[in-house]
Amino acid sequence: MHRSLASTIVFAAAIAVPLIAQTSAAGQAQSVAAKAATAKTRPAAKAWAPPLTPDGKPDLQGVWTNNTVTPLERPKGLAGKEFYTEAELKDVQKQERERLAVIEEKGQPPANHSGVEGADADDVHYDFSQFGLDRAQAKLAWNRRTSIIVGTEGTIPPLTPDARKRLAEMRAKAKGHEFDGPENLNLGTRCIARVNVAPLLPSAYNSNLQIVQSPGYVAIETEMIHDVRIIPTDGRAHLPGSIHQWYGDSVGHWEGNTLVIDTTNYTDQNPFKGAQNLHVIERLSRADQDTILYQFTVEDPGMWTKPWSGELPITRISGQIYEYACHEANYGLADTLRGARVAEAEAAKKSVK
Amino acid sequence: MRNWLRDSMVAGIAVLCVLSLAAAPSVAQVLPYRTPRTADGKPNLSGIWQALNTADWDLQGHAAATGPVASLGAVFAKPPGLGVVEGDEIPYLPAMAAKKKENQANWTKLDPEVKCYLPGVPRATYLPYPFQIVQSQNNVLISYEYAGAVRIINMGAPTKAPADSWMGWSNGHWEGETLVVDVTSQMEDTWFDRSGNFHSDALHVVERYTPRSADTLTYEATIEDPKVFSRPWKISMPLYRRVEKNARLLEYKCPEFAEELLYGPLRKKASN
Repeated sequence: MHRSLASTIVFAAAIAVPLIAQTSAAGQAQSVAAKAATAKTRPAAKAWAPPLTPDGKPDLQGVWTNNTVTPLERPKGLAGKEFYTEAELKDVQKQERERLAVIEEKGQPPANHSGVEGADADDVHYDFSQFGLDRAQAKLAWNRRTSIIVGTEGTIPPLTPDARKRLAEMRAKAKGHEFDGPENLNLGTRCIARVNVAPLLPSAYNSNLQIVQSPGYVAIETEMIHDVRIIPTDGRAHLPGSIHQWYGDSVGHWEGNTLVIDTTNYTDQNPFKGAQNLHVIERLSRADQDTILYQFTVEDPGMWTKPWSGELPITRISGQIYEYACHEANYGLADTLRGARVAEAEAAKKSVK
Repeated sequence: MRNWLRDSMVAGIAVLCVLSLAAAPSVAQVLPYRTPRTADGKPNLSGIWQALNTADWDLQGHAAATGPVASLGAVFAKPPGLGVVEGDEIPYLPAMAAKKKENQANWTKLDPEVKCYLPGVPRATYLPYPFQIVQSQNNVLISYEYAGAVRIINMGAPTKAPADSWMGWSNGHWEGETLVVDVTSQMEDTWFDRSGNFHSDALHVVERYTPRSADTLTYEATIEDPKVFSRPWKISMPLYRRVEKNARLLEYKCPEFAEELLYGPLRKKASN
């Protein structure tokens, strides 16, 4: 209890630094940062106490986002550097604003989506920024980390030899069959699983979530394809080993002010980077009025040579979660397959000539 | 009349008076039970619930019948049911009744449930899968096992839908023991059952969830759609708590089960 309380204070302090660091930066996150900074001017000894639900549990409820520019793995150029300085963070924020300004005016560089180097910007037929879907057009949860994965390395640990072999075999088997049928397309395209809900990682857009609590349960709805995890916190055991699910089975408990979620029973059908025996531990704690600190550890001894951990802030947003009905209008999947069949028919015609 | 009865109960008007009026059989069942409260003093509806009827096959009374897939024989034949519509009549406008018949004749081709589409309200409630109510002060989240459908009922000041959606826009409030939910802005694409009963984008549903014992609720839904029906009509049914100690919603991510149906013809033909 004492330990977890102490660690909460440490987390709160860790989150406060990056938030204070950006108060002078212009941009959309400013007002939140300013609020957080004000909240943090109190003496550090008096830990901020999270509000409680009527049944006395820390209240994580609200509409939130984990939208971030922080990559999962640390870029090569930043090896060994876990945090940006305040000045560097300001620079990252400036670059992000400039990137958005350019694409809002000229469209995304075509090479980003058509894959055609040097193609005319007029050819852009689907530009995220045009539909308000660029990450920088939504509120971002800023922090000073150079990667979501924590530690000196900041990267996913090396694969085990077995996993390397298995993944190589999988890739070899898939090669040349990418568009044979719906099963060959990725889970996101198929509207089965589009975002990692455990660990909870941001998606390309719509990285929004809503948390609702009732005694004994915490429900986390991610906006991206309306996935809900209802996490029991009554100490019950995991599902029997005979049941495997795309998103596994999550059970939780409270450690002081921290919600700890343990997830197992994932399918081996590759919901997360090809892991077959995934185990995820997540920790959610309120850092201040507008921030949840989210931490996770991922392990699969058959997959990675050691467990790895990540951390990112989840920040409050106004408004509500919209319904993201994915499968109901999944023209993309049908058109992708149709396109592949047309291409095959044309290729066959050519080879006959 | 019914509202007045419930209100009088809430107001705590003399129990004797209520009991004497409660002689009317249709309301007697909901009056005596007072469900346990949440920490903020509201009737506690949290839990995993499920309908136990054949309403998803046909809202109206129906005899058993051959199923759509001969090879499934008695496993997927249509089970009989008494129906859940008050008066057993769905008041279609004349032209709309013809469309219902057409839907029914082409059921397996047209029913959004076959394709794993989001079910809309009220169908989500009586699909043959459990759903879970997570009740908070400002919101009531309902998560349905079928297709991972979800909606979050706003319990604050009523708000307007920002856009139409498959699961609609839900504003809720308490009337005594009853959670009343006003549902608007649903897509016209959902159906009410496997018998082709349908609606338009003008659908307005008012749901009432009333505890009738520790482990049962009475579910009522009044359905109004002037483009399709000549008057509002009502369905009602009990909902049962899944009392298993280890009761959980499991994943039923059904898009993958509908892929052969929807995309099978677009598969690459076996190489020659």
